[in-house]
Amino acid sequence: MPILEARSLTKTFRRPDKASGFKGAVKHLVQRKYKNYTAVDGIDLSIEPGESVAYVGPNGAGKSTTVKLLTGILRPSEGTVRVMGRDPHTERIANAHDIGVLFGQRTQLWWDLPVEESLKLLKHMYGVSDADYQARIAKFDELLDLGEFMPALARTLSLGQRMRADLACALIHAPKMVYLDEPTIGLDISVKDRLRAFLRELVDDGTTLLLTSHDLADIEEVCERIVVIDKGAIAYDGPIQQLKAHYITTKAVHLILEGPADVPALAGKFPDYEWAAGESPSEVVVTYESNRFTTAEVLGGLTSQLAPRDLSLSEPSIEDVIRRLYAGELTK
Amino acid sequence: MASVDLALATISFKRKIAYKTTWLFSVLFGGWSLLAGLAVWSTLIGDGELGGYDWQAMKAYLIIGFLTSTLAWAGSDWEMANRILDGLVAIDLTKPVDFQRARAGEYIGGMVASLPAAALGTAAAVLAFRPAGPDSALAAVLTAVSVLFIFPLAFGINYLSVLNCFVTQRYLGIQWARDTMLAFFSGMMVPLALMPVWLQGVAWALPFVHFTTTPASIYLGRVDTAGALGLLAAQAAWSVGLWVVGRLIWSQLVKKVTVHGG
Repeated sequence: MPILEARSLTKTFRRPDKASGFKGAVKHLVQRKYKNYTAVDGIDLSIEPGESVAYVGPNGAGKSTTVKLLTGILRPSEGTVRVMGRDPHTERIANAHDIGVLFGQRTQLWWDLPVEESLKLLKHMYGVSDADYQARIAKFDELLDLGEFMPALARTLSLGQRMRADLACALIHAPKMVYLDEPTIGLDISVKDRLRAFLRELVDDGTTLLLTSHDLADIEEVCERIVVIDKGAIAYDGPIQQLKAHYITTKAVHLILEGPADVPALAGKFPDYEWAAGESPSEVVVTYESNRFTTAEVLGGLTSQLAPRDLSLSEPSIEDVIRRLYAGELTK
Repeated sequence: MASVDLALATISFKRKIAYKTTWLFSVLFGGWSLLAGLAVWSTLIGDGELGGYDWQAMKAYLIIGFLTSTLAWAGSDWEMANRILDGLVAIDLTKPVDFQRARAGEYIGGMVASLPAAALGTAAAVLAFRPAGPDSALAAVLTAVSVLFIFPLAFGINYLSVLNCFVTQRYLGIQWARDTMLAFFSGMMVPLALMPVWLQGVAWALPFVHFTTTPASIYLGRVDTAGALGLLAAQAAWSVGLWVVGRLIWSQLVKKVTVHGG
């Protein structure tokens, strides 16, 4: 049975339709006009317990609005959501006991108090026992180095520390379903790595995770399934590996030749491959269809005939695939 | 009070006292307002009386006004409003607590933080100006109960005004309107007895009157015991009424909550 199920989920907002400039402002004052804007458009989504799902899309695609609908913050204009059998909006308090939420751009720490005070208040809110609280704080400290800034005022934390503290706040009650909206936004590489390792451990422990992020490394390292949303509707929903297998059908060899590369001549000589100039005059990039040619056969032919000084292999990243999905170049 | 309510009130208390300079400034400003009021009314009353207040009674009235206004304006209404305007209300809605109760805990915790300042200021003013004493021991007790009702009344009025932010997306005008109504109809600015009768009627139909006029009337014996108990019952009724209205409005607003952005 799914832990989360959304059917035909739709959210429409009413926005002021105001012309720019002074005239537009005055006109809007006496004659108000509004336009409806559909942020989430008939989404069907089902998540099984223990799944880790990446929910990605370009800015304004409706990711955060979906998270707010799934967590019960917003009421759907149409459609239904059930999280652990409950309507998260009408049964908000009961639902809140079982979910953890992190909005990367909004902190849940009490700004002018030590981090520890925020966590203790959340302990009260969720009715966490002293023993569980101590055990979880110890674990967070081990994985997120929480101890170093527990006594610090929230407003004095660096962004990375703030995000780690917020993550602890979202997980202090060991929720079954966790929503993370841009948890690594603005963080440096080392903090990102630490957070991703923590999230992998969370998933391994059986927590269900829905993660939105613009950082595709977050997605590849933490999630098994990806849902791509664009203009409020789902553009792709399936395993990340399947997305790669389905759409990543080319590979590339970067060759460094002894002298300057004559790209047109090489293209004439090897017409089955795509040739392009590299970053230096002696570098050339050869792209081939991986379902037609094996890497060994391509490399064998190229090295025997061109004797390159050096070579390296690359394949399109998931980022390239998603960028093409956003651009409408790929279809489901 | 349940442990979560108490925890929220405690957090709010700690946050309030975390800003010591602001806290000290509010005490000094409150004290200055009291001194200014005493100087003005001393000149106006002289050896006579105004609206049934002689100088001794007016001093008591102004000191009660200082105490009640310090409490009435001690809550964190701006913080509640900003959470709605900035979208942080989204975070509040992911917590397993009743929204209104949680805000009440926070608000009243903030008010409690101002109690030491209010009590110190009041004690200093009593010692320095020797106002009229309470009409009776019972009047003193009932006055204290009446002052305690300021906590739920202040929350109720501030909560209702803050809820407007969901619709208006601005708070400043609402705050000005509410504070003006409070200062005027409570009798903090001018005792109700000096207002036209019809305006007194309007004031008594509103909850603001129970911030200053009610405790001062009980303290000075301007109402008998039955009248005092009636006023306390009115305070209790307003406290419950404002709470229920807050609940009804929230139940409608929560369906229309809009939080844009990530």
